[in-house]
Amino acid sequence: MLRIENLTKRYGEKKAVDGVSLHIQKGEIFGFIGHNGAGKTTTIKNCCGILGFEEGEIYVDGISIKKDPRACKARIAYIPDNPDLYGFMSGIQYLNFIADVFGVEATVRQERIKKYAETFGLTDVLAQPITSYSHGMKQKLAVISALIHEPKLMIMDEPFVGLDPKAAHQMKELMHELCARGGAIFFSTHVLDVAEKLCDKVAIIKDGKLIKVGTMDEVKGDTSLENVFLELVE
Amino acid sequence: MLKILIKKQLLGFASFFLIGKDGKYRNKGVAIGFIALMVYAFGAVGAMFWFLGETLCEPLVAQGRGWLYFAFVGLIGCGLSVIGGAFTAKSRLYEAKDNDLLLSMPIPTWAILLSRMIGLYLISLLFFGLVFVPTSIQYFLVAGVSFAAVVGCLLVLVVAPLGILGICCLIGAGLAWLTARMPFKNLFTVVGVMSFMVVWFWLYSKVNEYLAYVLANGEALGAKMKTFLFPFAQLGHASTGKPLGMLLFLVIFGGIFALAYLLMSRTYIRVATVKRGEHYARYREKKIGTSSPQKALVKKEFLRLIKSPTYLINASMGTFMMLIIGVLALVNNDLFGLTPGLVETMPMLKESMGLLVGVITLMLASSNTIAACSVSIEGESIWIGRSLPVDSWLILRAKLILHITMTAVPAALIGVLMGVVMDVVWWEILLTVAVAIVGTSLFAAMDLAANLKLPNLHWTNETVAVKQSISVMIGMFGGWGLCLATIGGYFLFGKYLPVWAYFSIWIAVFAVAVAVLSVWLKKRGTKIYDNL
Repeated sequence: MLRIENLTKRYGEKKAVDGVSLHIQKGEIFGFIGHNGAGKTTTIKNCCGILGFEEGEIYVDGISIKKDPRACKARIAYIPDNPDLYGFMSGIQYLNFIADVFGVEATVRQERIKKYAETFGLTDVLAQPITSYSHGMKQKLAVISALIHEPKLMIMDEPFVGLDPKAAHQMKELMHELCARGGAIFFSTHVLDVAEKLCDKVAIIKDGKLIKVGTMDEVKGDTSLENVFLELVE
Repeated sequence: MLKILIKKQLLGFASFFLIGKDGKYRNKGVAIGFIALMVYAFGAVGAMFWFLGETLCEPLVAQGRGWLYFAFVGLIGCGLSVIGGAFTAKSRLYEAKDNDLLLSMPIPTWAILLSRMIGLYLISLLFFGLVFVPTSIQYFLVAGVSFAAVVGCLLVLVVAPLGILGICCLIGAGLAWLTARMPFKNLFTVVGVMSFMVVWFWLYSKVNEYLAYVLANGEALGAKMKTFLFPFAQLGHASTGKPLGMLLFLVIFGGIFALAYLLMSRTYIRVATVKRGEHYARYREKKIGTSSPQKALVKKEFLRLIKSPTYLINASMGTFMMLIIGVLALVNNDLFGLTPGLVETMPMLKESMGLLVGVITLMLASSNTIAACSVSIEGESIWIGRSLPVDSWLILRAKLILHITMTAVPAALIGVLMGVVMDVVWWEILLTVAVAIVGTSLFAAMDLAANLKLPNLHWTNETVAVKQSISVMIGMFGGWGLCLATIGGYFLFGKYLPVWAYFSIWIAVFAVAVAVLSVWLKKRGTKIYDNL
């Protein structure tokens, strides 16, 4: 579903991402962890086609993001860590905008909006301007907008930040549902407990380089993910 | 405690000069340059009032009515300060972002209120001083310097802004209450600003008339001033050094401030901490319409514009001016009455009504800077467009469509209206419309290209994106430059060509430029956008 081959991204002299290679299969939930400034967000933005990169290649469902970025983006849903949404729109206007761009039919989008808005408890505030939303509400709206077009690949940067426990639980269930339908999830997180319970595979990045990749059992062994992480990044 | 809060306020003022739009400190040279630019700007405005003083001062002093001169000057100064200060008072007193922080600390409420009012006082002093200082100097040059008048003028300069502050705070409180649960706040703001512009434009067109009236009817006006505008009459007497005038002025203006402060101090904490909340719109499930990606992007651009009074008013100033001029042209049935200055400086325009109409339309169209800030205004939400499966050209095209729709449509209408009012022949009216449409397309493409090359995505206040960016300056001055070129060209070649031929050449030139820029935007502009 997502194949990253030897990805390198430079900011001036500094290599933010250095030779990263990953392969995420359909049905997998893939965790991406690392210290602050390790290169997680840069990698994620490269995968979404938001940032260009100097070396390597990224394939989404076999399609090169350099050669056909639009086709890749049509298969992806991206949720950033701090979703700056269009504050001048109401929640429903924003969802309709995203649905229009992805070409989601009217009856289908209506059903999905209703379903996900009820799941996340946002139905009552959909007509309110996004500027009036709390951070958690914006996060939930960003999640709904990601799910509305049923992406094959969800790429999320710290998706649990700002979500209340119920919403976080619902988010995990939706992630499992998406993978059960043949999709895949690639997300970064600092919450290692969640990563340990949720992820099928995990990659640890340090200073732009991957230092450990594998299934959760392969990476953490008999200890906890937190211990492995702390050992590896020191 | 008050000293600490005042220091915080002054640091806030200083940051305007010392901190750049990227949030970092400007380097010393740039900061000094910026301060010098602000001083120059204020100096230029002050010069305007100097010339006003020149017109009024000598005749009124000669009539023995120096006090009336100061009464008028004071009226203008107070009016300007109240207009400038009322909205500022509303936002600084009731919408200050650090209210929660300060109120959670062991700081007495009166100290918070007073420190904010001191900040507002300085703003009132600045606005009032812009009018009063140059006009006072005029008076001393004409009437001579006396100790009493100097003391009086200093008293007025220091105390009048206190009264103004009191009025601004009361108006600010009224505005805050009025707009608290108003459902269409943005519409209220836009209508309010437009109404102000209509009044300002009408006053500006009548200013010479009013000045002449004041000079010819000093005695009658003086009597009316004493009866109906007693505080300003006392301001006038105080400025000329009359002791009774100074006392009455102090009591009146100081009293206004004292009353406002008393009222505010009793209600401030309640008003500052209650979250009034927005007008609550209930979501009702209804049939959803769908749009194509291009239409959705165009809708988004329109929503962005109309939901932001700052963006709408500042970037669409040309459109608002077109509407006002259109209405005034219909009412007056005469274009020359509206544009005496233009015809005085370029008399050959009178020979060609069609050209005059075309020039006015083009200049108004060039005053819109919608496309020039359309990329910057995306700010931190630019990731949305970049993550969507749409060609960046569709995104850029949506911005062009917005600019052209908001500008070319009213420009074409106003061209037709002014042409009809001025009895321009029909083919020149059609050419005027064509110039407006093609010219607007060119301005839109130029402005968008400028914003792509010089974007500013990291702003916390959208005023920075809309008003304080180089691409907006380039867009506006570039557009005006093109308009001047069309006029200048007519001075050089007008005698060899009929107006219709001259217009046709410009339409062709603009059309070619639009085509070239469109290709650049599609090929290069999209790549720039993708890498922002």
